[in-house]
Amino acid sequence: MTDTYLNLVNSGFTKKIAKQLGLPRPVPLRRHQPGRPLVDGPVLVLGTGQDADTVAHVLAGTASSAATDARAADATLLAPGWDLDVRRHAAQGERYAAVVLVLTELTHPDELAAPVLALGSTLKALAPHARVVTVSRPATPDDGPAVAAARQGVDGILRSVAKELRTGATGNGVVVADGVPVTAPSVLGALRFFLSARSAFVDGQLLAVDSDGGSLPLDWDRPLDGKVAVVTGAARGIGAAIAETLARDGATVVAVDIPAAGEQLAAVANKVRGTALQLDVTAEDAGTRILEHAQARHGRLDIVVHNAGITRDKLLVNMTPDRWDPIIAVNIAAQLRINEQLLTSGDFTAEPRIVALASTSGIAGNRGQTNYAASKGGVVGMVRATAPLLTAFGGTANAVAPGFIETDMTAKIPAVTRQVARRLNSLQQGGQPVDVAETVAFLASPQAGGVVGRTLRVCGQNLVGQ
Amino acid sequence: MTAAGGTSPGVADLRREEVVLPGVPSLGRLYARGAAASGRLVLARRFGRGPVDLPEVAYVVAGVQADAAHLTAYQHLLGETASDVLPAGFVHVLAFPVATAVMARPDFPLPLAGLVHLANEITQHVPLRLGQAVDVRAWAQGLAAHRTGTTVELVTEVRLAGPARELREGPVAWRGVSTYLAKGTHLVRGGAGDDGGAGVADGVEGTGGADGRSGSGSGARPAFVAPVPTARWELDAGTGRRYAAVSGDRNPIHLSAVSAKALGFPRAIAHGMDTAARALATVGAERGDAFTWSVEFAKPVLLPGSVAVRVAADDGPGGGWTYAGWHPRSGKVHLTGSVRPL
Amino acid sequence: MAATGSPAPTPRTDASPRRALVLGGNRIPFARAGGKYVRASNQDMLTAALDGLVARYGLQGERVGEVAAGAVLKHSRDFNLTRESVLGSALSNETPAFDLQQACATGLETVVLLANKIRLGQIESGIAGGVDSTSDAPIAVSDRLRRVLLDLSRAKSPQQKLAALARLRPGDLAPSVPRTSEPRTGLSMGEHQALTTAEWGITREAQDEIALLSHQRLAAAWDAGFFDDLVTPYRGLTRDANLRADTSLEKLATLKPTFGLTLDTPATMTAGNSTPLTDGASTVLLGSQEWADAHDLTPLASVVDAETAAVDFVHGVDGLLTAGVFAAPRLLARHGLTLDDMDYVEIHEAFAATVAVTLGAWESDEFCRTRLGLDGPLGKVDRSRVNVHGSSLAAGHPFAATGGRIVATVSKELARRKAANGDDRPVRALISVCAAGGIGVTAILEAA
Repeated sequence: MTDTYLNLVNSGFTKKIAKQLGLPRPVPLRRHQPGRPLVDGPVLVLGTGQDADTVAHVLAGTASSAATDARAADATLLAPGWDLDVRRHAAQGERYAAVVLVLTELTHPDELAAPVLALGSTLKALAPHARVVTVSRPATPDDGPAVAAARQGVDGILRSVAKELRTGATGNGVVVADGVPVTAPSVLGALRFFLSARSAFVDGQLLAVDSDGGSLPLDWDRPLDGKVAVVTGAARGIGAAIAETLARDGATVVAVDIPAAGEQLAAVANKVRGTALQLDVTAEDAGTRILEHAQARHGRLDIVVHNAGITRDKLLVNMTPDRWDPIIAVNIAAQLRINEQLLTSGDFTAEPRIVALASTSGIAGNRGQTNYAASKGGVVGMVRATAPLLTAFGGTANAVAPGFIETDMTAKIPAVTRQVARRLNSLQQGGQPVDVAETVAFLASPQAGGVVGRTLRVCGQNLVGQ
Repeated sequence: MTAAGGTSPGVADLRREEVVLPGVPSLGRLYARGAAASGRLVLARRFGRGPVDLPEVAYVVAGVQADAAHLTAYQHLLGETASDVLPAGFVHVLAFPVATAVMARPDFPLPLAGLVHLANEITQHVPLRLGQAVDVRAWAQGLAAHRTGTTVELVTEVRLAGPARELREGPVAWRGVSTYLAKGTHLVRGGAGDDGGAGVADGVEGTGGADGRSGSGSGARPAFVAPVPTARWELDAGTGRRYAAVSGDRNPIHLSAVSAKALGFPRAIAHGMDTAARALATVGAERGDAFTWSVEFAKPVLLPGSVAVRVAADDGPGGGWTYAGWHPRSGKVHLTGSVRPL
Repeated sequence: MAATGSPAPTPRTDASPRRALVLGGNRIPFARAGGKYVRASNQDMLTAALDGLVARYGLQGERVGEVAAGAVLKHSRDFNLTRESVLGSALSNETPAFDLQQACATGLETVVLLANKIRLGQIESGIAGGVDSTSDAPIAVSDRLRRVLLDLSRAKSPQQKLAALARLRPGDLAPSVPRTSEPRTGLSMGEHQALTTAEWGITREAQDEIALLSHQRLAAAWDAGFFDDLVTPYRGLTRDANLRADTSLEKLATLKPTFGLTLDTPATMTAGNSTPLTDGASTVLLGSQEWADAHDLTPLASVVDAETAAVDFVHGVDGLLTAGVFAAPRLLARHGLTLDDMDYVEIHEAFAATVAVTLGAWESDEFCRTRLGLDGPLGKVDRSRVNVHGSSLAAGHPFAATGGRIVATVSKELARRKAANGDDRPVRALISVCAAGGIGVTAILEAA
């Protein structure tokens, strides 16, 4: 899927014309390549208090004397590979690759000004593909009103800053539940994910870390080493990208798709050096057969990615059962049934991960997609209710909601509509399947164990929805 | 043993004068000469003259050798493996011009042009190999009455040549007897045939061969009942031309529909020895080195055409194999024959 | 001339060194000639079948002991077909390979050969296979043109070249298409079967019933997902294209006979009860127990033994496609087994009549006494045990690929039955594949 417009405004004389005309000028996003540094330049950590110091030490890779929590030392000891050039004060003319705002200790909106204005002073000189990440606490009914106001204010700030950023820079936030230290695996995992090129198309999102569950990987480049992952709908598009990304991160992949897609499925399985399992996920015993295959062939099952999905768009006024029922059957009922079979098998209990594909359509709605939105909204609800069932085993379930992704499916959208849809986000372009895959891989990783039943959007901060 | 080039008594018939030819004659020239002789003969007959007896002569060619490329071409065309053993039909091809030379003599009483090949019996006593020189001796015998004319046998014997390619009186390695019919030429009275339409063999007398067996056609012939086929030959229009290329027998009746029509046939017809040799090849290696291979030709095979074929072991006392070829739809027989190990 | 029967069989007592196991299989759906695979070469299809197998069993980059496969209709450029396919596949490039050709028995013979190598300890694993394309069949130039071209390439002077070219005639330029008739008889396989069919008096109805059952069973197996882990789609084809799930005896009865038209008896063989020209490829993964364990593969069946027979059809002694009739009793006797010990009997449906004649011959007291040298009938096989998931009449028959299809299919069924039985009773299958040249290959498989 080539984005011709994106190519035009980034090369040759058309680049100049676009600049003069003031046309939107999306830039090709920086994407993850193993071996490349986490960020290309110094990282500014803003915020006062112990959490900010701790985060700064972790990012710098220095065994933190300031860290009162023994876990911080553990974390840096166990997970080398941070080693960033960390600054604590905004300096004039410095070109930061990332700015981290640690705002966990806010008590009143008055305290927002200093760190946020400091952030503002750096924006002009931000490096291309820079990262702005906030670390904050959620506003809950139990908070005092001023605390809640300050905390909720962070959300508004982050979403606005993200819209202000240019040249492939993104802004995202980690929202750490009360009682969970900023050194919790998932806080560091999410922070690292947002700082990295893996989150290239994730923008304007606030990801909640609900617990200190999960663990840091021994190797940040291969967090899934030794894991066995099943990816449904793996024959093409996003599913194929997920299979490849999980394999790149160390997982052994079982690629699942309907028998009719077997040719492409075999190609994917061979590419990722996994195994192909031709299976219709709507089969009554699909979950059992997936588990049997994974155990027989690879000895275990750790990760299930529910990616298989179909669309049958029709305005509700014209909707028919033959367009409704298959969507529900494939996109949500099959996932529920497979999960149930896995959860009751007794063999899906070693820090299991379920990652399901939702959609921005399921969150914000989409004209002509009541059926699809029902199923994808269903996914959001499903993971929310499934994750708590897994926490006892160190497991979790989460969802990824892609926005406009350049796939065979979106290639079928009429050209003009497609061009418009691409630009309707802060990054002014469509995402790539690998962007979804990177987010799936993060949520499937050990360091995402504290993210419980959440849905993370991969949409470039699409204008629609939350 | 006599020196090459001299005359020597043939084993078969001491009375015949032997004429030693310098080499195997060209069939083309023989046919031309034979055609001229036939024309003269027809004219002579009209005036009540012309020879009525067979010439008491045997033609001899010494030191005949097969050419490897020729042999291979023959073997591949007929379905034989290209081994160094000369197929019995190939020896016939080698020796055929010598017998034809006898028939092309001015004093031969039957017209060469228009002779119909009724039957053939070849006995291979010992295998002949590529590289071995052989002597060929051919003569005519057994002029006999037929319902539609007169039959004659052309006998050809092949012996291994001596070390210096001299003529020898060694044992016969290969012996062939070809029976031809001259339709409309009645030189011998009596012995009318008993059945059959034009060209159907009948009443062939014993060949007087070394094995002493009589021809298979004497007496009443049972009507042919098509057996279960074991094979089918699809013979295209070029079949006659291809066999002509390996046999040298470029009789126009085999070459094309046009040339065959000129001689009174609706289409070109397959060489009889072509079909018989295919049957021999189908018997395969089991036939061994020494055998008698006989064939009787009935209705000619029109080209292009299909022939239903059966080649099967003969459960009878004779042993060996019998074969038959017939029209797959009409069931009319084209050829029958046998291959019997000695 | 052929010897009847065999020397008194002595049941084998020596224990086989070790078992050769069928670990799985993969094929592409079989296409009708001129269908979806019309532009695909044998190498393309064999590579696709190999890649599907590699994907199913996670053999990427694996150095398999040996890959053996073949094709019946083969281009001269495909002299190293299997090795070239391996090089194009996801297997390790260090996987050796060889081509084998035994007409329609090619696929089964590759299984037998590699199984023997595994039993002998020469290899630990192997992939057997076969492929054929009638859509991409080699077409040769005429013999005369070929000779001219060869002479031309050898000619040194322009004069010699001109002389070579001067021999060409317009007719020489006509290509020569591969013939499916027997070289020594000129009869097509169908005509040969028609003779045998007539000899055994197999009726049109009996043949059509076999064809119908084949389609029904294959369709049921597809519908049940039985082939989900045996077949990988290719070129947009997801099921065997020849399969007619909705056929009926009435429909089959409307077809005009195509073989045996010149025989005295009524012609009974139609396009419906004969296999069509087909394109496709199949593979079978074989290995030792140790290799299977090391690769976390669950064996389906073991290749117990095989026997090949040939008949003298050239001289009309036996029917071209009846060699399996002779091979099976020899194979069974070697193991002290009878037809009753076979839970499944797979008889390649070259023609429906081939199956009927094979079963009929084994049931015939006279035939078994006179031709097989037995004391009485070999036995009766209930049709419920024969070709249980359909066979070539429905699936189609890409010559060399049929053996692999049968072995993989029946191996899965054996494993399934053994698991369903839930006990140690042996579950066995007899496979019989007839081939051109009067050859018949049989094998016994036993659930692992």
